[in-house]
Amino acid sequence: MTTPRWTDVAAEADLFEGAGIPVAPEGHDIALFAIDGEVFATDNLCTHGHAKLCDGFLEGHEIECPFHQGRFDVRSGAPTCAPATEAVKTWPVKVEGGRVYLDLG
Amino acid sequence: MNPTPDTGGAPDALRWEAGDTSRIPFAVYTDEQRHRRELERFFYRGHWCYVGLEAEIPNPGDYRRSVVGERSVIMVRAEGGAIHVVENVCAHRGMRFCRERHGNKKEFVCPYHQWSYALNGDLQGVPLRRGVRQDGQVKGGMPADFDPKQHHLTQLKVAVRGGVVFASFDPEVESLEDYMGPTILGYFDRLFNGRKLNILGYNRQRIPGNWKLMQENIKDPYHPGLLHTWFVTFGLWRADNKSELRMDAHHRHAAMISTRGSAGQATGSASQVTQVSSFKSSMQLEDPRFLDIVPEPWWGGPTAVMTTLFPSVIFQQQVNSVSTRHIQPDGHGAFDFVWTHFGFEDDTPEMTQRRLRQANLFGPGGFVSADDGEVIEFSQQGFESKPGHRALAELGGREVGETDHMVTETLIRGMYAYWRQVMEAPL
Repeated sequence: MTTPRWTDVAAEADLFEGAGIPVAPEGHDIALFAIDGEVFATDNLCTHGHAKLCDGFLEGHEIECPFHQGRFDVRSGAPTCAPATEAVKTWPVKVEGGRVYLDLG
Repeated sequence: MNPTPDTGGAPDALRWEAGDTSRIPFAVYTDEQRHRRELERFFYRGHWCYVGLEAEIPNPGDYRRSVVGERSVIMVRAEGGAIHVVENVCAHRGMRFCRERHGNKKEFVCPYHQWSYALNGDLQGVPLRRGVRQDGQVKGGMPADFDPKQHHLTQLKVAVRGGVVFASFDPEVESLEDYMGPTILGYFDRLFNGRKLNILGYNRQRIPGNWKLMQENIKDPYHPGLLHTWFVTFGLWRADNKSELRMDAHHRHAAMISTRGSAGQATGSASQVTQVSSFKSSMQLEDPRFLDIVPEPWWGGPTAVMTTLFPSVIFQQQVNSVSTRHIQPDGHGAFDFVWTHFGFEDDTPEMTQRRLRQANLFGPGGFVSADDGEVIEFSQQGFESKPGHRALAELGGREVGETDHMVTETLIRGMYAYWRQVMEAPL
């Protein structure tokens, strides 16, 4: 196990319910989602088409891709609705002092 | 003079000079409006059209672009193995989205706006369906009542028999078996008897003539021994071959069945059909393997059976060469002709080579079939120059019926009897 490399990526206040926001620490393209006070992070690029998940719509814990309506569970990255068939990468998140941190590993 | 009702607003009503179909007006080949009606009545309604062979798409996701009439369709094998035929027209803006001839895909995506479809044609996703978020507001997108289930690709009715795939735009079309009728079905099953097929290759050609002329070409047993001197020279076809002409009850489909006479007949495994000194002994094949014909058990006697399935396809067995020939109209004055040469799973490598060698008879550069493409083009030229005139199809009489000889145009008369029945019917 490598030591977590927590990196400050956003203010918690920047997040809002219903959709994600994009962040780009160290060149990674990552989407943050706030759901009932919890924060989740996945790769931003849909594994199906070339769309950004941060432009999609949250339904519970599922993010629906804006292009083809494929869906992923933002907690696990697992695809939950066709045409998405390949999981999207998730990132460890913690929130401290109103800041959102990702473990960039 | 038989005043023929010619519904549908074609500019010149057809004049069937003899009342029956033994004199065929040139105008059946020359009129674009009439051609559109043929497409509607024969290719898009009430008929089955050939699309391809199952062996062309063996794996899930395999697809092949094909044609029904003048409409582009895609024959595809879905995940579960089922074969679907969907129209190559996006449900959104009507674009003919699939450009590749064949390939393997998980889904179809129209490049214009990336509408994506499952392999069975169901609409999967519409980009920006729910609009775009700007300044905390969602703007645009499809109306809330937009229902993807109502915007699938057109899904054709599909029938697969003996490894051959047929499709119809008409959900009410009769069964494929009823469509063929028992006589033609028997000849179909003789060729496609359940063995898996191997694709050997394709020929494609554009023939600048009316599509019906190709059907007529294979309903005309008079010409092979006269036009195709190659056939005669090397003994594959003679007017006095033992032969039969059979039709379905509507006279739209037909089979020309012939068995080579003893003059050129191979007897025993070692014999060769090139022992045909009676034809033109001075002509010799440089490579006699070209006619190394080996009778096959499934023939059950006949050495050639040419089956015309109206309107879209011809099934060929000419000794060891077997193929499908797909008629793909493009306007009244041209069609694409696509030959798919195949063999069977139990063929030896020698038999595969033999089928490939014999395929040199056929296709646009074939020793025999090159002739047909030319005469069809030249016929069309004649028709276009004087569309008020008519052709003769009186050989063997003026009636329509099955025969046990080849010196007749009865199959052409039969096809036009059916053609008139459908084309002259009120809508």
